[in-house]
This record gives sequence, structure tokens and C-alpha cells, in this order.
Amino acid sequence: MAPLHTRLHTRRQFLRLSAGASAGAFLAACGSSGGSTPAPAASSGSAPGAASSAPSAATSPAPQGGTLNFLTWSDHWSKDELAGVQQSTGITVNITELADNIDGFNKLSQVRGQLDLVSGDALWVPKYYDAGLIEAIDINSFQVAQQLYSIARQFDFWTKPDGYLAYPWGWSPIQIVYNPKYVSPAPDSWDALIDPKYKGRVVMENQPTDIMLFAGIATGAKDIYNMTDAELATAKDWLKQLKPNVLKLVQQNNETIQSLASEEAWLSTQNLGAPDRVKSAGGPEVMAIIPKEGTTGFIDGEMTVKGGQNQALVKPYLEAGAQAEYVAQNFIDNGRPLWNEKAYQLLVNSGKKDLADRYLYNQPELALKMRLKGPAGNTDAYISAFNEVFGG
Amino acid sequence: MAHAGDRLETMPVSPYAGLVRWLLRGWAAAVLAFTYAPIVLLVLFSFEDSRTIGFPITGFSLRWYEGLPANTPLVRAVATSVTIALVVAVVATLVGTLAAFPLVRAGIRRPNAARVLFTMPIMLPGILIGVGLLVFLAGILKVPLSLLTVIAGHLVLTMPFVVLIVSARLQSFDRRLEWAAADLGADPARTLRYVVLPLIAPAILAGALISVTLSIDEFVVTFFTVGPQLTLPIYIYTQIKFGVTPEVNAVATLVLAGTALVLGLGTLLAMLTRRALRLSRRRAGVKRSEASA
Amino acid sequence: MTTRFGQRRGNLLRLWPFVPSAAVLTGLFFIPLAIVFVYSFWQVDPNLQVVPDWTLRNYAKFFGTETYLRTFLKTIAMAGLVTVSGLAVAGPFAYFLVRYVSPRWQRLILLAVVLPFWTSYLVRVYAWQAILGEKGVLNSVLLSLGLVAKPLDFLLYNDIGVFIVLLYVYFPFAVLSLYTSLERFDFTQLAAAQDLGARPDQALRRILLPQIRPGIITACIFVFIPILGEYLTPTLVGGTKGVLIGNLIVNFYRGGAFPAMAAASFLVAAVVLGLLVAFRRYLQVEDLVARG
Repeated sequence: MAPLHTRLHTRRQFLRLSAGASAGAFLAACGSSGGSTPAPAASSGSAPGAASSAPSAATSPAPQGGTLNFLTWSDHWSKDELAGVQQSTGITVNITELADNIDGFNKLSQVRGQLDLVSGDALWVPKYYDAGLIEAIDINSFQVAQQLYSIARQFDFWTKPDGYLAYPWGWSPIQIVYNPKYVSPAPDSWDALIDPKYKGRVVMENQPTDIMLFAGIATGAKDIYNMTDAELATAKDWLKQLKPNVLKLVQQNNETIQSLASEEAWLSTQNLGAPDRVKSAGGPEVMAIIPKEGTTGFIDGEMTVKGGQNQALVKPYLEAGAQAEYVAQNFIDNGRPLWNEKAYQLLVNSGKKDLADRYLYNQPELALKMRLKGPAGNTDAYISAFNEVFGG
Repeated sequence: MAHAGDRLETMPVSPYAGLVRWLLRGWAAAVLAFTYAPIVLLVLFSFEDSRTIGFPITGFSLRWYEGLPANTPLVRAVATSVTIALVVAVVATLVGTLAAFPLVRAGIRRPNAARVLFTMPIMLPGILIGVGLLVFLAGILKVPLSLLTVIAGHLVLTMPFVVLIVSARLQSFDRRLEWAAADLGADPARTLRYVVLPLIAPAILAGALISVTLSIDEFVVTFFTVGPQLTLPIYIYTQIKFGVTPEVNAVATLVLAGTALVLGLGTLLAMLTRRALRLSRRRAGVKRSEASA
Repeated sequence: MTTRFGQRRGNLLRLWPFVPSAAVLTGLFFIPLAIVFVYSFWQVDPNLQVVPDWTLRNYAKFFGTETYLRTFLKTIAMAGLVTVSGLAVAGPFAYFLVRYVSPRWQRLILLAVVLPFWTSYLVRVYAWQAILGEKGVLNSVLLSLGLVAKPLDFLLYNDIGVFIVLLYVYFPFAVLSLYTSLERFDFTQLAAAQDLGARPDQALRRILLPQIRPGIITACIFVFIPILGEYLTPTLVGGTKGVLIGNLIVNFYRGGAFPAMAAASFLVAAVVLGLLVAFRRYLQVEDLVARG
């Protein structure tokens, strides 16, 4: 097997290989969909290695055809992946763009069966389930799921009696990113953000619920998603100290990077990958830490819509599209750790081990140490608290 | 009735007229500079090398332009946005202009109340209209989300502008012109076509311009009513997790250049046609006078 | 007089041109509005679904906290300021266009003013960040010319930044509205007035302004009202100091608190309606000629 990077450089070769891989996977999926094993003990089936070997002309599948309606973020798919899926399974994927979890939740609540597959973060997934919007899947009946890190198939917050709630995609913790030239001593706590020394030098993303969660962690709330009135009041006080330090709450991530690069801002809260991005934007060296009180982060996955018109195509799509080759390329393009363990091997084999390790790809257990992104229980109270602090 | 561009120099003017004209000219230049200052930077950033828009500039490159033809979702998004804007402009202008007439002339008992009804879509935040449309169209009527639902949303937003601007123009329209036309034997249809419409054309044009402007960059309502399609604003705003790159600057620059080119060519064409017409008319006039001589 | 033009009464049939727009308004606006209006009296359950749990709490909430009132008043002040400034900027510009520029060029220049707005709003506002920011173009120029000792940090991420960008975004609407009114104005009236002894400014104030009142009113409506719902501009250039009521409303949406968002929006709309009713005498434009 040629190294990944030379293969990837020739798009046609890449497509052919992935078509072959997905064809093999599709066949395997057809074979295993008949019998499902609910127990986590994985069915041995065909070894994952077999699927990534050169395409075997003998096992050309009958393309299924059809259209899959997928509501997702732009970093969950690529043109090459969709082309490969189309070639091997005949499935055309219709992408509806997603910005934030609440948008997806709201839209799915209204359009229901018009969508078949929806992406969502960690604790939003159970909300989708409780609201009757999605169905559980038998994750172990997915051939491609064997490529995942085993802990990804066992998240307790996604495990229900009738199955697993989402097919895992990627994750990232929120880190505090700082410019060591201006920020010292090196911060290790959320409270660094409210240090009056840094007035007007903090940039964060405009996510009211997330900011309330940060405040909850910083002030030691027990359950940051269901803070009591007293805890909310303490969190509000923390935020009142944060407000003068905040330069702006941004709409998009590139604004944070730009502020750090131009040194307008010295501190920010972001997903993985900031130091690299700030550097390539012409900015200084910045460091990223996870605060000692803990942090939030996202673990995202693809959810099967209940009553989706083309629900039968979900499994074939994932079997074809979630293959390690695509995932590895996706990591290179977008830069955050993904749950596909086999893709890590491919990255290592193509000389990208350093990059992958820097992005914590091979430390998936860290993800479970995060408090996960999700909606608040009493959202009215959360937003009211936020508005009272950040209102004009 | 005198119009702009007439030779008003023959009329008595105030001694400050020259100064005023220069001041106004300077003001107009300043306004245009104000309008285009950010555009200069917008174009500049489209050539910057780094993935992040803005200062500092690490270097210059054409890579964002080079990547455009391959980026089919982006190209399709631009095409979709333009198509929607044109459809919305045509429909909103038609429907809005149609509504402006009875609003002003039908002798409604409470014209201001009627005008307020038409203004209401402007009064509510787009996000509320978006949510309402999503719940009504998709949740209740089970209409599949598509470009049609997007156009519907844009129509609601742009129609009030057309109605208001055309009715304002109609309000101060000199009715005596229509009466004169009637006196000369024109029926209502001809009067409408040859007297009223040409004179309110600037308002209709302004309404159409506003519709295109509002629609082409509309994000909030579009976001709720769009299906698996992309418009340019949707493409841009859904890059939220990882941010936009200067490719959007490149697209914006090309759209600007393209539109300017089309307008420039259109004006040139109009100028040439007018000159050709004038020449042919002059020649025809000479022939006629020769014939009658 | 057998034409329709003089008649003020008639049967309902003369209202037929209303039908298309009425259909659009009813089906695509009033009905969806009624739905969210009902939502504003309901509540959202822990699963973020709106449930028919009737309550007035969503409305009462805004009267209980002074943040909302304060932000709303600030938004009204900002909207008013931008409207007045927009008229001040657009007025002389439109006047110049109509008075001193030939009709063909008028249209081109109008298009030139509108053209930048066919590029993406986001990248234009990013450009403003690059102009007004601490490390931006303006400061670089001022510093290099020695006009200031250290960069100006009060132009961005506060109310001033919001004002500048709002003015930038909305003044073309004022230009288009004023232009359509000015375009039909007979400038010889000004000369006639001066013949009769009026000073130039008197002529402007008492002859021109009343006749372009519809345009001025339209401009005010196009600028003032939408600003009350604005939230993108404050997010991009307002920082934490330039927050407007639109931001607070959208925050409710982001948290999934739809009823609260609806209630806040309707409260704002109610105030706008109230203002329109209170100022209706100024908004009334009589048919100046038909009486003659």
C-alpha cells in the first residue's frame, strides 16, 4: 500500500481507491444488516483491513441509488467523499448547511421527514431523542464502526436501551489560548480571563449558553447544565467581572484568529488548532491550555432522523462515507481530532504523526474528561442571566 | 415644467451658487469615497495569502481566485443568490407597484392604517419572520423547503419597500396630467402606459434596486426557509465553526467587477444606440424636408 | 367628468390590484405572525419544544429587568441618530445628483452607490474592522502622519463603531428615497421664490422641503425601523459596549427560548406601532395637487 500522501495527491487514484473501499464496505453492510448484535462485543466479521485493499473487480456492487438529505456542518463532508459515495453506492447526498445546534434542532422539529441524517453535538443528541426527532442505531452492526476507537461506541450519554444515538464523528475541547508575550504568569484557570490586567483583551465566541457554562465551571457549579438560582447568581457575578475584559464576542472563528494574530487580543477561548492558525495568519506564537477546573467541548456525530423519507440510505451512506481514507483527509483539511482510529494509522503512515498528536488525535480518552456541549435545562433563566450581564 | 439638466444658468441665481455647487460636488465625492473605502480593503484582502481575512498581511497570492472554479458549491451559491434576487425583484416590484395604486387612489377610508399594514414586515426582526415562516410552511403546511420558500420569504421582506416608495411617488403625482390626457382622448390604459408609468419610473426603479439589494445579501430569513440549497450568505455564515477565508473576498470582488462590467457595457450600448437613432432620425428628417420641398 | 379619476367612492372591484400583495402579506406574513404570537404566550419544555402552557411571564419578564428597557432606549436613540445623520448625508448627495447631473449619469451614480451592497455584508464589515481597529488603516495613517501619539481605540467595538457601520449600511436607502422625491421637483420654483425676495435657505426650507416630504418620510421609515431589529452589526463591530435590543432578542433564540424571543419582538413592534400612531400627523401626506 503506497503511502497516503502520494495517493492523496492524485485525486483520481484516491477516488478509485475509496470507491473500492466503499464498495467493499457496502457489500459488507449489505451482508451484516440482516443480523444485528446488540451486545458491545463486536462481531468479528470481515477484518477492517480487507476493506482498504485494492478494489476487487469481482465484488462490484449493485448501486442502490436514491437521495439522502443530510443536515450538517461543512466540515463533516467533502466533495471527494460525496463523489466517491455516489460512485460506489449511487446515493446522491443533498447537503443542507448547519450553523449551530439550535438551528438544526429547530429546523428538524419543523421539517421532520424531509431530512434523513442530522449532525449534532454531544448532549444535544439525547435532546433530539427525547423530543422524538431521531432513532437509535445498532452501532455494532456498522462495518465501518469497527474503525472507530472503542470508547466512541460506548459513550454512556449516547447509549439507550434501543441502541446508540449517533454515529461518532469528531471532538474538540475548548482551550484557553493566550499570547505569552503579554499574558504572564502562564494562566491555568478560567479566572485568568477576569484578571483586570487584561481589560479589553479577551475575545470569545458569541454563544450565550456556552459562556454561561464557562461561568458555571469557573464558579464551581455542580451541574453546569442545570444550575440552581444561587449558582446562576454566582455565575452572573463572575460574568460581570469578565465583561470589561471582553473586547468582542465574535460571530465566526476567523475573527478570533485575526484578533490574536494582530495582537488586538491576548486571550481567547477556542477549539483545538488555534496556535497553528494564528501562526499561518501571520501572528505570534500563542499557547493553548486546558484550565484546571475543567473545560467544555464537543463530541459530534450523525443522527438518524425518525421517519426520514430515505432512512434506508443512512447506513449505506455511512458505510461508504465514513471510511478511514476520507476521515484522514478530512483531518488534514479541517484540523480537529476524529473518532476513526484507522484514520490515525493512515495519518501516521503518511508522515503526519506529529500533526495528529499535536491535535490530540491519539488521546481520545481526554474527550471524556470534558464537560460536554449541550443545551441548558432551564434555558430561559440562562439566557436571561446572560442578557442581564451583556445587555447594552 | 423644467427638469434637471435644463439650462438654468439664464435664470437669476444667488451669488453663492458657484460655491454651493463646488461644495456639493465635494460632498458627493466624499460620499462615494465613504461608500468605496471598505471595498478597497475588501479587494485588497482577496489577494492576501493567509487563510484569515484581515491584517496582518503575510503575503500576496492569487490562490483564492484560482480555487474558485473548482469550488462548485460556492459558484452555485452565487448563481442561486443572483437568480433569487432577480426573481424577487421582478415579483416584488410588480406586486408592490400594483398595490401602490389603490393605496393612494382608491379612496380608502384610513390610508395611513393601510400603509402601516404594508410596513409591518419591516417592523419585526427577521429572525421572528424566519421562525414564523419555518413553523407555518414546513411544520404546519408540510411544504418542502426549497428555493421557492426562500423566494417567498424574501418577497415578504422586500414588498413593503416597493409599496412605500412607489406610493410616496404616486402621492405627489400631478393628477392634472392624467386629466389632460383624458381630455385628449386617451383611455385609462393608455394614460397609465404613456403618462403615469414613465413618470413614476424612478420610484419603480428605486424599488427594484432596493429589492435586489435586500435579497442578494439576505441571510436571516433565508436561513430558516432554505432546504438543501446554498445562497452566498448561507455559504458564508455557515462557515462559523472554522471561519471564512479570503475566497469570499475573491467572490465579492468578482461579483462587483462583473456587475460593473455589465453596467458599463449596458451604458455603452445605450449610448451607441441613442447616437445611431439620432443619426438615422436626422437623415430621415432631411429626406422628408427634401421630399416636401 | 366621466373618468374614474375624480371618483372617491365605488365598488370593491377597484381594490383588485391589492389582491396579489394582500395574498403575499396574509399567507406569508400575518398567518406566520399569528402563530409566533401565540407562541409568545406559551412556554418551552426541557426538551426545547414549545408547549401550550399559557402564561404572561414572557412579557412580564421584560418589565421586571431594567437591562431590557435601557438597551431598548439606547437602540431607539441609535436608530434616531442614524436616521438623522443618514438624511444629512444623503440629502445633499441626492440634491447634487438631481440638480447638477444629467439623467443618464444620475442612474449610473445611483447604481454605483448601491453596487457595493451586492457584495457580502460580512466581508464589508470585516473591512470596516480593518479600517477602524486599533491596528487598522485609519490609525496607521494618523500615526504615520503624526496626527496622533497613540492609536485611537474608541472607534471600534463600541457604540461609535456601531453608529458608523449602521450609517454606512443604511444611507443608500435614504439616498434612493430622497432621490425619487427630488427627481420630480421643479427647480425653477426656487428661482421664482428668489425673484420674490426669498433668501436661498428660505426657498429651500419653505418650497423644497415640503414637496419632498414623502421622500423624507419614506427614508425615515426605511432606516429607523429596521435598525430596531439589527443585531449583526452590533455583534461584528459593537463589542460588549455596543449591544442593541436585537442582540438580546437573538440570544433567546440561540438558547432555544423561542417564546421569550417572540414576546420581546412583539414588544418592540408594539412600540414602533405606537410611535407611528403618535406621529401620524407628520406622516400624513395629503395629495397636494388633487385638491386643486
